[in-house]
Amino acid sequence: MKITLKQYNGVATWRWNTETEDICGICRLEFDACCPQCLFPGETCPIVEGTCGHIFHKHCIEKWSNSDKNNKSCPMDRLPWTLVKKP
Amino acid sequence: MPELPGNTAISPATLKRLKNELMGLMMANIKGITAFPESDNMLSWIGSIEGAAETVYSGLKYKIKIKFSNDFPITAPTIVFTTPIYHPNVDKQGNICLDILKEEWSAVYNVQTILLSLQSLLGEPNPASPLNVDAAKLWENQEAYKTALLEHYNQNSD
Repeated sequence: MKITLKQYNGVATWRWNTETEDICGICRLEFDACCPQCLFPGETCPIVEGTCGHIFHKHCIEKWSNSDKNNKSCPMDRLPWTLVKKP
Repeated sequence: MPELPGNTAISPATLKRLKNELMGLMMANIKGITAFPESDNMLSWIGSIEGAAETVYSGLKYKIKIKFSNDFPITAPTIVFTTPIYHPNVDKQGNICLDILKEEWSAVYNVQTILLSLQSLLGEPNPASPLNVDAAKLWENQEAYKTALLEHYNQNSD
């Protein structure tokens, strides 16, 4: 029997490459979903990792860092919050 | 889903997180602590804390009021005891002196961790920074403290 492929639809799934945590500690939503201010997950609502190893939605940790109390520390362990340099 | 009228002024991020908190509390169902929105306004909750077993507060139950601000969890909620409580770190108006509700607040704390911290504060006060000086002084003498505590409780609880 011979078949002819006329058409196909590609389907892909994706997830952020996080090994330790699945949920952002600040908004309590999954990394694979977006932060509460965004409508769509993906590159427009990225996640960031600090040198202490903790991960948050970029928008969530920015809100914490920019709040008037001048929180420059990781909400998890209070170590100074600095981003991991991507290789 | 249409939002309750009391919630229309709340930022979506805060509302989402508070609904998440409520769900988590209901699922966890922890003995001795309760919290629930007071009305259809998600920023205002009422709750209760029961003293832990094997502390002088064991079996005593206190009502609390929790007020969240519109940028929770970036800023800490305000919590007051509405049942008068005799405790070194709580004043007559029910205001609480607890570092994690003030300068040590972190956005990753949730209602559950706050209430559990308050529950342990009952049995392990910090007499070094008292809001009720008499209670702080009496804490050394646990027998006398318990007598004063129970007398105060029986006069004030309903």
